[in-house]
Amino acid sequence: MTLWVLIGIVIKILMIVGITQGTVAYLILVERKIAAYAQDRIGPNRCGAQFGLPAALLQPLADGAKMLLKEDVVPKYVTKPLYILAPWIAIVTAMIGFAVVPFGPVGPNQLIDFQIAPNVDMGLLYVLAVGSLAVYGVILAGWASNNKYAFIGGLRSSAQLISYELPLGMSILGMLLLAGSLDMNQVIAWQSQNAWGVLVQPLGFILFFTSAFAETNRLPFDLPESEQELVGGFHTEYSAMKFGMFFLGEYLHIITVSFITVILFWGGWHLPFLGLTPESSGLIDTLLKVGIITGKVFLAILFIMWIRWTLPRFRYDQLMDLAWKSMIPLALINLVATAGIVQLVRTYWN
Amino acid sequence: MTSRNAAPDAPAAGGRAGHPWRKRPARFSMSVMDAAGPVFRVESPAAPLRRGRDAIGRPVRIAAPIVRTPPSIRRLAMTNQPPVRPEWTTTIDPILQKELERYVLVTNWEKLLGMVDVVYNWGRRSSLWPLGFGLACCAIEMICTASSRFDIARFGAEVFRGSPRQADLMIVSGTVTKTMMPLIARLYDQMPEPKYVMAMGACASGGGPFKEGYNVVSGVDKHLPVDVYVPGCPPTPQALLNGLIALQRKIDGETIVQAPWYRGGVERDVPIPALGPDLVDLRTVELAAERTAQGLIEKREAGLEKPRLIPAPTADPVDPPPAEAPSGKPVKKPKQAVARPSAVWLGDAGLAELADRLNAELGAGTAAIVQAGLLIPAEKLVDAARFLRDRNPIRYDYLASLQSVHYQDCIEVNYHLDSTSRPGSLILLRVRVAEAEGEGELPSLYHVYRGADLQEREVYDMMGVRFVGHPELKRILMWEGFAYHPLRKDYLEPYYEAPTKVFASRVDEGFGRHVRAEELNPHGTNLKIPQGFKDWASLSGSNDPKGEAPLPGGVQVEELESDQFQVSMGPQHPSTHGVFRMNVRLDGETIVGLKPVMGYMHRNHEKIGERNTFLMNFPFTDRLDYLTSMGNNFGYALAIEQLMGDEAKPPERAEYIRVIMAELTRVASHMWSVGFLLNDLGAFFTPALYAIEERELILDLFEWASGSRMMCNYFRFGGVAADLPPGWLDRCRAIVEDRLDRKIDELDRYLSGNEILLDRTKGVGVLSAEDAVGYSTGGPVLRASGVAYDVRRAAPYGIYDRFEFAVPTGRAGDLYDRYYIRILEMRESVRILKQAVRKIPEGPVLAGKKSYQIKVPAGEAYGRVENPKGELGFYVVADGSAAAYRYHVRSPSFINLTALERMCLGRTIADVVGILGSLDIVLGEVDR
Repeated sequence: MTLWVLIGIVIKILMIVGITQGTVAYLILVERKIAAYAQDRIGPNRCGAQFGLPAALLQPLADGAKMLLKEDVVPKYVTKPLYILAPWIAIVTAMIGFAVVPFGPVGPNQLIDFQIAPNVDMGLLYVLAVGSLAVYGVILAGWASNNKYAFIGGLRSSAQLISYELPLGMSILGMLLLAGSLDMNQVIAWQSQNAWGVLVQPLGFILFFTSAFAETNRLPFDLPESEQELVGGFHTEYSAMKFGMFFLGEYLHIITVSFITVILFWGGWHLPFLGLTPESSGLIDTLLKVGIITGKVFLAILFIMWIRWTLPRFRYDQLMDLAWKSMIPLALINLVATAGIVQLVRTYWN
Repeated sequence: MTSRNAAPDAPAAGGRAGHPWRKRPARFSMSVMDAAGPVFRVESPAAPLRRGRDAIGRPVRIAAPIVRTPPSIRRLAMTNQPPVRPEWTTTIDPILQKELERYVLVTNWEKLLGMVDVVYNWGRRSSLWPLGFGLACCAIEMICTASSRFDIARFGAEVFRGSPRQADLMIVSGTVTKTMMPLIARLYDQMPEPKYVMAMGACASGGGPFKEGYNVVSGVDKHLPVDVYVPGCPPTPQALLNGLIALQRKIDGETIVQAPWYRGGVERDVPIPALGPDLVDLRTVELAAERTAQGLIEKREAGLEKPRLIPAPTADPVDPPPAEAPSGKPVKKPKQAVARPSAVWLGDAGLAELADRLNAELGAGTAAIVQAGLLIPAEKLVDAARFLRDRNPIRYDYLASLQSVHYQDCIEVNYHLDSTSRPGSLILLRVRVAEAEGEGELPSLYHVYRGADLQEREVYDMMGVRFVGHPELKRILMWEGFAYHPLRKDYLEPYYEAPTKVFASRVDEGFGRHVRAEELNPHGTNLKIPQGFKDWASLSGSNDPKGEAPLPGGVQVEELESDQFQVSMGPQHPSTHGVFRMNVRLDGETIVGLKPVMGYMHRNHEKIGERNTFLMNFPFTDRLDYLTSMGNNFGYALAIEQLMGDEAKPPERAEYIRVIMAELTRVASHMWSVGFLLNDLGAFFTPALYAIEERELILDLFEWASGSRMMCNYFRFGGVAADLPPGWLDRCRAIVEDRLDRKIDELDRYLSGNEILLDRTKGVGVLSAEDAVGYSTGGPVLRASGVAYDVRRAAPYGIYDRFEFAVPTGRAGDLYDRYYIRILEMRESVRILKQAVRKIPEGPVLAGKKSYQIKVPAGEAYGRVENPKGELGFYVVADGSAAAYRYHVRSPSFINLTALERMCLGRTIADVVGILGSLDIVLGEVDR
C-alpha cells in the first residue's frame, strides 16, 4: 500500500464523515418537513428567510449552533464516565459502519473506489457487528443516567436490539447464499446480472426492513425512547450536544440500514434498461451509479420517515412476540427454503 | 434606556421592582421594546435623515439606522477612540465607507463579538424548543398552536421536548397552583442555560381569574424570572405566536459577553418553595415566621365581614331569624324554591314510600324526609345504603354525587343516588355530623359504592369530615400538612375581602392609587399560616407531600423486593393530559400498584363560586373542563333555573341553540379525545392534528356566536346571552351536513381497523359493567362497559326528549370500546345536530329581560347534564342572597379516575398511558 493510497483513504474518510454529518443534519430538517406534510402543516420555513433562503434551509445550522452553545448539564447523580461515554459510543459505532459501505462503483477498473475499505470480504458481517455495538450506547446511557425512565428505556432497548439482531441477520442470509459472497459489491454485481433481491427474496426483504426499524429505534418500534410513556427514554437526562449526538447517531443508523437495504435488495446502483454493468467505468457511468445508489437510499429514508408519522407504537410484549414468534421462524423458513433451492439449482441446472 | 446597562446587582427597573427577593441580575426585566435587532440589517428607504459630516468634513445627510446595535457594543463604542482609517479606503465613496465600517467590516474586537452575537442569537432564536408541559386551559391553545392552522413549526419551535434537559423555553401555560409551584421551579432548575420562560395567559402572568383562590400562585413571576408575558384568557394561538416573536426579538438583543449563564460560580437556580402549612417561599421564610407569630393574619380577619352561616334545612321550614344587613335594615325573607333534589327525580310520593320502607326494614328513625331528601342518622348510613342498593325494588346502584355543606349547626354530607336500571329516579340522602372542625365522623360508603372513594377523600380534604372505614383517607386536592379545610365557611382565603362579590373598589379615587390584592395580606403574598405554627425549620423544597408511594399496607420503600421499583409519572409527563400524576410501582414493565395523585390544578373553583354572584360564575364554569365550556354552562344554567322555576324557562329558540351548542361541543371534545388517545398510543400527533382540524371549525362557530373560541360564557339563566349572528346557522348547517360526517368517517376508516391499534386496545383495561357502575364512572366510560346510561335519556333536560338519537354501548368495556364509543357518539351527535338545525324556530333567546343581577330563591338544586366526559352535576345551595351558599361540581373526569387503578393493575406501563387517555380526563375539571 503506497502513501498515495493511504492519503486517498484519509481523504475519503474525511469526506464521508463530513458528508454524512451534513446529510444527517439535513435529514432532521427533511424529517420535520415530512412530519409537516403528513400532518397538513407547513413545517419550518422561517430560519434562513433573513438570507433569502427558502424552506428553512438554515434550520439545521441554527439547531446545531444552539446545541453547541447550550449548557451541558451533567447531573450530580449520574455515573459520570459512562454517562459521558454513552453518546460517543452511539455516534462512533454509527460512523464506523460506513467503512465498508460502497457509495458507488468499486472495482479494479473504476475511477475511484467509492468505499473506504474496498472489497472487504466480510463487509456485511462487519456492518452487522458494528451496528449491534450501538446498543451499548443506549444501555449505558440508560444505566448511567440513574433515572428511572432512562433505566426502563435502556432495559427495553437491550431486549429489543438483541431480539431483532436475529431476524436481521438471518433475513439477509438468503440473499448472501444467492450471491455467494459477503462482499457487498459482489451482491450488487449478482443483482445486476440476475434480479433485484426484493424480487428473489421478498420475504427476506420484508423481514430485514422490519427489523431495521427496530434496530434504528424508529416507530412503530421506538420503545426505548417512547415519548408518551418514558418522557425521553434513555436520553431523558442528556442535554445539549450529548443529546444531539444520540440524535445524530440515530440518523446515521438510518442511513446505514438504508444503504444495506438498497445494496442487498434494491440492486445497489443498478437500474434496468440503463445498461450499467459492474465493469462500466466511464465518468458518466460512475456518476450515474453514485446518483442511483444515493437516490435509492434517499427513497428508503423517506419511507422510514413516512412510517414514523403514520403508525402507532407496539407494546413491549407485542414487540417481543413479533420478533420471537413470527419473524425468527419466518426467517428460518426463508433461509432453509433458499438454501434448498440454491442447492437444487446448482445441482441440476449447471 | 435598558436596564441591561445597570449594574448587575442593582434592582430591576419596572413595575415589579421592590419584591424583597428580587436581587437577580437585570436580564429578566429588560422589556422587549428595548431589544435591538441584528447589526447588519439593511436600512429602509423611509429611515429618517440626520445631519452629519463625512470623512473629509463635508456636511452630508446620513440615514439613521433603524435598528440599534446591541447596547453592549454601543456602550463600548463610546469609550473607544475613533478608528484610524487604513490607506486603501480613500478611493471609495466615503459615505459607503462609513456604512461599511459601521455594519460590515470587522475592524475591532467589539465588532467581532458583535458578529459572534449575530450567529449566537440567530441560533437560539430559530431553535426554541419548548418544554412539553401544559398546565391548564392555555395548554389546549398551546397545542392548537402546533396544529395545521397555526403551525408553530414555522418558527422551528415545534420540537416539544418531554425532558426539561433538552428544552430551551418553558411556556407556563395556565394557572400555577401552590401544589404545582415547587415542581415548576424544579423543572426550571433542570433546564440547561440559556433558558427562557414565557408566562402564557392571565393566570400564569398574575393569577388571572383565579387569583383570589387559596391554592393559586399570583403569577409565576413570584418564583421564576419571566421573559415574555402573553395576555389573554386563554391567549389565542396567534397571541402565543406573537409572544414567541417577542421572545425572538428579545434574544436578538442579547450578547454573548454579558450572557450571565457563562459566568462561573453564579448560582442561578431558583429556590424551590416548600409545601408546609401553605406554600412557603424559603427566601422570605424568616419574615413570614415573624409576621405569623405576630398574628397579623388573624388581626386583619377580625376586622372583616365574615360569611354568614345558615341553619341546615329542616322538615318543616321555620323562618330563619332575619339577619342584620350591614346597613342595619332587616333582610327580607327570601323566596323559597320548590323542594326537589333535581329536575327529574323519584317524586314526593315515591320518596315517602321509600322512607316508610326504610323505617320498616331498618327500624324506626332510619329515614326522615327533609326538604325532599332522606335524613339518615350516621350510624344507619351503611345499612340504608346496602338496602337501597341490594334490596329496594328500585336498585340504587349508582352513587351519582357526594358532597358536603357547612351549616350553622352541622356539616351535612349528602349523597345523590340513582339507579341504572330505573334511570331518572334520583334521590338525595342527607347525613349530618358535628360542625366543629375535625370532629365530624361518618361511616364510609367505600365498601358499598366504590365510587365514594375519591369523593369521600375530597370531603375530608375540604371539610375535615373523617370517614371511618375508608382504607386511605388522605387529603386529595390539597397536600398533607396544609393547615386548613378550605371549604368550611370559617376559612377565609389569604386574599379574602368580603363574603360576596362585588368587592369594594380598591381604587383610591382622587389619589390615583389603587390597592393590589397582595396588599390586603400582611405577608404581601397569597400566604396564610396559623399563628401557632412553629415548625419552620422542617420546611424544605425537597418535601413531596403528594409523593406517597403505592404500597401495600405497612411496607416501606426499603423493604421492597429489589426487582420492583416506583416511578412517579407526572405531574409533568407527556401522557398525563395536564398536571396529573400517577405514582406507580413496577415489576419490570408490569404495574403492581398505582395511585392517582391530583390537586395540581386545584384552583379553588368551588370557594370562588361561593363568592361570585350567580351570573358571575358562568365564566368560571367555562374553565372547568376547558374543552367543553358550552356543556359546563348548560349544567350550571340548569341548576340555577331549577331554583328559579318557571320564571327562567328558556324560550324555544334558546332551547334549540343550547342543544346545538352542547352537541357541537360533544363532537369537538370527542375529536380531541380520539386524536389524543392515538397520540398516547404512539401515533405521534398525526391523528390528533387531523382530528382537531374540524374542531377548529366548530370553535369558529363558537367564536362567532359568543366572542371566544374556548371560554364561551354563552348561556344565561333562562336562555343564552345573544342571538345567533346572521349567517351563523347556514355555516353551521354546512359544517354539520357536509363536513362532520366525512371527518368521522375518515377517522373511523383510518384508525378503527389499524392492526397496531387493535393489538394495543383490544382486551386492555377492561372494566366490567358492575365495576363501571360501582365506581360511579360516567359517560363514554360507563357506556363502553355496556351500561346504557345517558343523562340525556335517563333524566332528559332541555328539549332532548324531542330528538331521535341512540345511546350506543360497548360490550367488552376495554380500551377499544372506549375509543369506538366516542366515534359512535359523534355520529349520534351529528344526528341530533341535523334535526336541530332544521327545526330551530325564530324568536327570543332569553326569558325576561337582561339584567346584571338576578334573584335566586333559597333552596337546593342539582343540575346534571351529559357532558362529553360523563355526568356533570352542579349542586347549589342558595340562601336567597346574591351568591351561592354552597356550590359543588360533580366532575365526571374526577370520578372516572376512581376506576383507574382497577383497570391498570397487571397491565404494562404502555397500557396505563392508553387507559388514562381513554378516560379522557381534563385536569381543570378533575381538580377544579
